[in-house]
Amino acid sequence: MLVKLLSGSMKKMWKDYLVLLFGLTISIAIFYMFETLAQNKAFLEANALISSIVFVFHVGTFILGLVTIFYIFYATSFVLSLRQKELGMYMTLGAKKGKVTQMMFLETLVIGIISLIIGLIVGVGLSEGIARLLMSRLDFSGEGFQPLYASSLWTTVIFYMILFLLTAIVNAIRVARKSVLELLHADQKADNKVIKGWKTFVGTLFAIVLITFGYFAMINMGELAHVGVLIAAATVTPGTYFFFMAMLPFIIKRIKGIRSINEKGLNAFTYAQLDFRVSQLSKVLGTVAMLIALGLGAMTAGLSFYHNTEIQSSLTHSYDIKVHQPTEEELTEMENWEFEERNLYSYRVTDDGVYFSKHDLQANPPMIKEFTGNLDELTEEVRVENNLSASIYTNDEETDNGETMPEQWQTALRTELLANFYMFGDRSLYILDQEKWEEINAETQTVLIGKVDNFTDYTDTLEEIENRHLQLALEFTGEEPLTTGSKYANYTSLKSLANGTIFMGLFLGVAFLMMMASVLMFKLLSSATADIGRYQMLRKIGVRQAKLKKSIYKELFLVFLFPGLIGLVHVLIGMEMFSFLLIEPYTKIWIPISLFLVIYGLYYWLTVKMYQRIVLPKG
Amino acid sequence: MTKSVVNVENVQKIFGKKSENQYKALDNVSFTIKEGEFVGIMGPSGAGKTTLLNVVSTLDKATSGKIEIAGQDITDMKQNQLADFRSDQLGFIFQDFNLLENLTVYENIALPLSLQGVSSKKIKPLVTQVAEKLGIKSILAKYPVTISGGQKQRAAAARALVHEPAIVLADEPTGALDSKNAHSLMKTMEHLNQYHDVSIMLVTHDPLSASYCERILFIQDGTLYKEITKSGDQQQFHQQILNVLAELTSIQSS
Repeated sequence: MLVKLLSGSMKKMWKDYLVLLFGLTISIAIFYMFETLAQNKAFLEANALISSIVFVFHVGTFILGLVTIFYIFYATSFVLSLRQKELGMYMTLGAKKGKVTQMMFLETLVIGIISLIIGLIVGVGLSEGIARLLMSRLDFSGEGFQPLYASSLWTTVIFYMILFLLTAIVNAIRVARKSVLELLHADQKADNKVIKGWKTFVGTLFAIVLITFGYFAMINMGELAHVGVLIAAATVTPGTYFFFMAMLPFIIKRIKGIRSINEKGLNAFTYAQLDFRVSQLSKVLGTVAMLIALGLGAMTAGLSFYHNTEIQSSLTHSYDIKVHQPTEEELTEMENWEFEERNLYSYRVTDDGVYFSKHDLQANPPMIKEFTGNLDELTEEVRVENNLSASIYTNDEETDNGETMPEQWQTALRTELLANFYMFGDRSLYILDQEKWEEINAETQTVLIGKVDNFTDYTDTLEEIENRHLQLALEFTGEEPLTTGSKYANYTSLKSLANGTIFMGLFLGVAFLMMMASVLMFKLLSSATADIGRYQMLRKIGVRQAKLKKSIYKELFLVFLFPGLIGLVHVLIGMEMFSFLLIEPYTKIWIPISLFLVIYGLYYWLTVKMYQRIVLPKG
Repeated sequence: MTKSVVNVENVQKIFGKKSENQYKALDNVSFTIKEGEFVGIMGPSGAGKTTLLNVVSTLDKATSGKIEIAGQDITDMKQNQLADFRSDQLGFIFQDFNLLENLTVYENIALPLSLQGVSSKKIKPLVTQVAEKLGIKSILAKYPVTISGGQKQRAAAARALVHEPAIVLADEPTGALDSKNAHSLMKTMEHLNQYHDVSIMLVTHDPLSASYCERILFIQDGTLYKEITKSGDQQQFHQQILNVLAELTSIQSS
């Protein structure tokens, strides 16, 4: 009979349950998505640039697990708040406490299991969809990635079953402990906990100390290595929760305590709204902040690896474009390019050597990248010293015919003029004056080198040139090399190496930010119904609709602001972790951050609108 | 001659669209409440009491007719004007208190003043003053959940009075109170009316509560049925009310 009653009223409150199911489902789906990567060792090791990637993912699982535990406990307590009044009523009608407790237990568990099933299906679908989208965008084959990964499936099932069992027990105990009256009047009860001063102080202290330690570990990740990752994870995560549990309520209380602010217009109400469910809010906001940190961090790291390939490929190359024996077609195409510098050099090739005209080289001495030995700036650009006085220079050490070619000129010819082993095999390099040059019996060829503003704009043409160079190399050496060693070739091979890492970053970034959105949405929609009466009352005593709207904008702005801010700071400091892997981890960091801000802002606006639709009286 | 604070002329309220089944909740109702008067509205359930209160309190619009409060015609005001008007001129007391449970009693009472932009310096003495009048000064720092029903209703009354509205509209204020608390609240309202010149319009179905009023309008099926004025003591007035109600019941059952 009780089962019948419960399922009957579950139907009545299906909207509330839908919100709950949605929240749980997304959490499960995201956890599963994360695990498809985290447990696929072969894929990780084959595709990541980070050597200890498997370890990093273990730590990630730990953080995500912790965040999930907080979230699931909060979300399932919502079942209790939906239900307790009704359970109290059954008890007044004669239902035994044991029976009611049992019902609460079963209901929490059943909802958990339903969401687990849906969540896993959604998770597999999302992994497949997002992975496919990213792979096609990145030109990344992603071999070995499996959206349906058995061991991840099991981990998710076991983890959530334990969680749901625990939360079911907690909910049951909570019901068992309450008297009939407490259950009946549960909805009128304010859970406005009085926060003790010393608790706030200790909590705040913990938050500051833990986060400081974590930041220190992240900044010194190069030396601390694995230990550093562990320290960062174990300090920043609880530190963030402490911040939201102790410091934020304290800050809000303080603002509320200032009479001139609190008693202005609707402020008393707005801050009370914030302050009222402060203990619930704090866990949710901690979770949101951590998810923002993880999501934005993963995305920023991914994009940073992406930009890093460009920086890395420019590390040894001064010129972006090198073309041997340019064709008419290529020359006309390049007419439209905006060159910062463009030089043309003549050379002749025999079976033994590659001969460059000193005249051309001295007319336009090329630039090269030289290693500085300084870690902040690995190489610097210098123009080759124009000091060629002899008539013959060569890099062939076994001949007496001519001077040894200066180091700078060797680098210039090999790297910038692409007269390297890939192109010309083991031919020696020569720089000859006009007289000696004329003596070489071979056709004159030219090589064009140039600098452009943004060389990735021209990758299509560069790919064609690269292919022609490979054919040219085949003619010179008798075999087609794997690469020509040009900047473009370096760039593409580095990019394909980094693609796996970029893929992981973006995949996780999208997943975490999705979960963040669902957590915030859940928090909001699950508490909105309770607010309807308050806004109705305010309207009755004569608050303008516009003021009510403004109050909602303000309340939610603060709800969005703090986790956004904390998450952002975590990311900014956290990127230091990669400084031993990436040359410039902060390059173009404004791209992911402004992307995030725009999406977060839109999401804020959308949430405000949805909330207003629920709580504001019509007309 | 005293000014009228509420002036209702030929007010009609029809529910339902023209094409559908229409229902006249109020039909040609007219009455006035003078400044400083304590007027009760009575009638059986479904007679139109709540509709009348909603229309007078600007929460609902009359289909036709004219309503003036404190000399202002509210029938053609816009939404925002109405909101401002409510916060300025009206005080509400509801059956279910309608206190905001996330604000302290003090903040609840202060809210109408804050909304009018009164500076926080001036708010405090005003709130303390009205709380003293209603005998709830000691619970100002508490949250509504921690106080009794009677105290809640006093807090609600304080909130209704703090900005000195033209009229206080009370909708079954004793409905959720036990007889002792109800009696004490009505005494307080009577006192406020007599010694502080607060105009009150009270909607109730409880004859005892109604007997504190000076004048009672009975409505039946959306029209004004009868009007009686207190002439003797409260006991007699109570009996008078009971008689009219008996009349109404006999009409209904015949």
